[in-house]
Amino acid sequence: MKNINKLFTAVVLCIAASASPALAGKGGSASLISQAVSSGSTDAIIAEVEKTEALMCEDCIQIVTNLTEDSRYEVREVAGWWFAKRPQLAELLVEQFEGELANGTSTAVRNGADFLGATRTLTALPNLRAAIDRGGLTAEARLAIVRAAGVLAHKDGNYVLSRGMQDSDATVRMTAVKAWRDVLKQTDATPVVTLLADPDSTVRQAASAVVGGMHQQSARVALETLVVSDVDANVRRNAAWALGQLGQSASHAALVKASGDASGLVRMTAKVALGQLR
Amino acid sequence: MKLDMKTIALGISLLTTGASLGCNGSDDSSGPLGNVDSLVILQRPRRNDTGDIFQYTSYVPGARIVKLTPPTADGKQETLCCTNVPGFEKADISSYDISFDAKQIVFSAKLADNQAYGLHILTLADGHVDTIPTDPMRDYVSPIWLPGDRIMFTTNAIVEAGAPQHQDEYERGTTIQLGRINTDGSHEELGPRNLSHRTAPSLASDGRVIFTQWDHLGGENSGHLMFVNQDMEELREAFGKEGKGASNSTLKAQEIAPGRYIGIATARNRTINAGALVDIRLGLPYTTDNGLLADHQMSEANSSYVLLTPDVPTDNSASSDSVGRYYDAYALNAKDKPDLVVSWADGVVESSFLAAANSSADFGVYLYDSATQQRRPILDDHTMWDIFPRPLQTRTAPPVVSSADDPNLGGQLLVGAMNVYQSSLHTFNQGEIYGVRIQEGFSSEEGFPRMFGTTMFEGQASLGIAKVATDGSWLATVPANVPLHLQTIDNYGMSLFNEPVWFSGRAGESRVCGGCHESRTDTTVINPGITQAFAIGPTDARGKVARTDRMMAVADLANDSIITNDAQNHTIGTDRIVGMGWDKAVQPVFDAKCVACHNGVAGPGNPSYTISDPKTGASVTWVFNLSGNKIPLTIGGVTLNSFTASYFSMAGPDMEQIEKGGLMISGNFKVYMNPQDARGSIAMKTLNPSQLFPTVDSSKHAFAGTTHAAAKGFAELTPTEIYKLILAADMGLNFYARENNPHDSSY
Repeated sequence: MKNINKLFTAVVLCIAASASPALAGKGGSASLISQAVSSGSTDAIIAEVEKTEALMCEDCIQIVTNLTEDSRYEVREVAGWWFAKRPQLAELLVEQFEGELANGTSTAVRNGADFLGATRTLTALPNLRAAIDRGGLTAEARLAIVRAAGVLAHKDGNYVLSRGMQDSDATVRMTAVKAWRDVLKQTDATPVVTLLADPDSTVRQAASAVVGGMHQQSARVALETLVVSDVDANVRRNAAWALGQLGQSASHAALVKASGDASGLVRMTAKVALGQLR
Repeated sequence: MKLDMKTIALGISLLTTGASLGCNGSDDSSGPLGNVDSLVILQRPRRNDTGDIFQYTSYVPGARIVKLTPPTADGKQETLCCTNVPGFEKADISSYDISFDAKQIVFSAKLADNQAYGLHILTLADGHVDTIPTDPMRDYVSPIWLPGDRIMFTTNAIVEAGAPQHQDEYERGTTIQLGRINTDGSHEELGPRNLSHRTAPSLASDGRVIFTQWDHLGGENSGHLMFVNQDMEELREAFGKEGKGASNSTLKAQEIAPGRYIGIATARNRTINAGALVDIRLGLPYTTDNGLLADHQMSEANSSYVLLTPDVPTDNSASSDSVGRYYDAYALNAKDKPDLVVSWADGVVESSFLAAANSSADFGVYLYDSATQQRRPILDDHTMWDIFPRPLQTRTAPPVVSSADDPNLGGQLLVGAMNVYQSSLHTFNQGEIYGVRIQEGFSSEEGFPRMFGTTMFEGQASLGIAKVATDGSWLATVPANVPLHLQTIDNYGMSLFNEPVWFSGRAGESRVCGGCHESRTDTTVINPGITQAFAIGPTDARGKVARTDRMMAVADLANDSIITNDAQNHTIGTDRIVGMGWDKAVQPVFDAKCVACHNGVAGPGNPSYTISDPKTGASVTWVFNLSGNKIPLTIGGVTLNSFTASYFSMAGPDMEQIEKGGLMISGNFKVYMNPQDARGSIAMKTLNPSQLFPTVDSSKHAFAGTTHAAAKGFAELTPTEIYKLILAADMGLNFYARENNPHDSSY
């Protein structure tokens, strides 16, 4: 467990020794967070941490610091959010978490990546790029690295996402694909096109949606194949939607065929896409 | 699965086994549900992750839409959708609406954990389901039928190509906005964006759509009912503002009768979308043969409400046994005390209490007599939330209500007022308003940290100033689909009054009001003919400028000579001053004119104050300092300042933090710049700005007395420098703006 108070003492001289809980504002307090943690409930923890958004609460610091290492992503995320509202405190943990991206265990990498993403620590991007190339990390750790790059939504994280798209784990690949579209000022979806042939249907679903949403014209042929032949109706639906977004008249035959698809998920989408062709 | 059809007496009045007696009426002989053959009910697996009223992504597989015939405790339950539809085996369904002819149901469903919520149409005759094509990566929820074969919904899809969706007021959740699409899946349109969420649309008999909008601007932080036309134009306030609401948030409004709505009064957080039932009257109530109506003189000023469940909390405190909370309600008649079908859960309905107890709310369907405040159970499956009970009946479609768009606007939005001096919120002195400043809002989605500063305001950019004509009118063309905020300003560029909300409009829409939040019950009187602003034409307030270009030129950031007079002695240059990134645009002013004296060395020019914690005896001292250095200030393990010395000196500590932390301040403590109030700020009164409009005139000053520079014998701030400080204050006193977004610069 990280002990932020030790760090804090080393950096700032004016630590108070008070142990009395602050009870004010939205009704949040360190003791209520502790109770929620004891209950084991994700929802209770999130609710109580949110309640201390603007609360001066020294006793909360170590409790929330501990939550940055919780086993549940939702809890780690809200802990990171809490620190993002306290930038100076967040800075105390950033260096440590960045170090763990390079040398920590898979669990430490997971925690570090999620913290750095939730606190929007853009300076962590070089460390995230290096971490995704580390060997021996678990899929959970790799997923967190990719997720952090997605949250930061910076083009300097594209390398992380590209590597994530080549991951052996389908969830990592899917997460990387989805994150690609929402990177700020991202316009080219070329790296996603190859994922249209991914063996996992959830990845193909995501890839279809991304190339359609980003109007990646080079994806047309692959999408036309998917829309008429993929075994997964969700893939066929997303491919039909994507072809409509691309709007190329060459897709007419494939969409006509898809308009008669056996699945109601696909038919109307294909018909509408036909109307979107130029 | 255990179905608990609670054993109410078979003979109670709500029971009926006869054929429908007609539509939308009530046969007193057989109870309020006497005319209802069947109720449609949504059953969602119980959960506890929807404490936030704008939560829309919760997913637990196994939801279904059922029909209960007759609508009684011993009625027959039939699953309408979608456990038997291929692809829907693991669906969760968040909401639904029955078509006007009662032959179809539109619903929002998420089919698997890796997917988003999408829209689907169930045809009741044969049970087949068609999926409406929507962006597979975006959520589409809360669908309702509109006349003209359209469906309205809320979505996190983004109307503005290439822009990210706004984050909410906590900078944590992606907001949802209004949109509509044809029932055949064609012609999807996304509405203009609020800076926070819009949710729970519902169709009114006059054809407008009522919904809940989260309003957040400085101290404003609550959910209000708003109206739009079916084309998402003509946004109008409905209920909850101006101190007229029953609670922090009002949601899930359903029309009882014209001008009258049943809604849920509750708090923003931890209430599982549930609260007290409130009977809202938007106008002056009157009685007819059809019941109590309230569509006469509808306005905030004339609105009122009646709490139908007075024991139920309207905040987020825990409800008690037998009191519980209501998830939603639908009126069966328009009596003064109406009969309702409701979804209600007993006991504590508050997310953190429930979660800590490892439990969840158990919503069931009940008939509620608001006169006697008695509930009669109809259906409660203890494994499910039984919500949104609706009679399976035909209903009259309201007229198609659309707005007149102007293609000549070229994709811009036209905003303005006929006479800005008419206001129900503020009294202006005739002639004191120079113009109206239009400001754009954005959240951290553009890559900002999760705080723009210490003042809790969102990011802002000044789009321009529209000069007010002598008849009080003004017009401006502004970007469509973005949150906008208006300030009336004086000849010194300082805000006289802030309109306390964000608003927005669609491309081609004209949002020209009577005044500046004028009384909705008064008539705006103008001279015959058109207003002067129409005759002159609108001010161009960056209506066609791309989002990424709505910022200052780099060369202008430290330029102290932007504002000057042109050959005709008219002020020019203010339109080049856009966002006030503190370290890039404001700090150069301090560096040039202030920091030589105000350098953090304690003395007469640099007063100090001490913040102490009485509990621990710890204390820290701050000395006035206008440098751009970062000077940490921490007490009791809590950070008071994360920004530069000049920012903290001007903005001061977060007083909410000081108050909540029980801290004491002693010494010479002052906040020198007030958010959205340059005119009331000590710094401005001390500097005493010279006139900026309509002509830059250094001989005229905003306040009596001399200027700080003259008193101390130093060079005056230039008009550009003074306006930067004014704008920094009036735009919320943020540290971050697009000009210093770390995401775009060196991070």
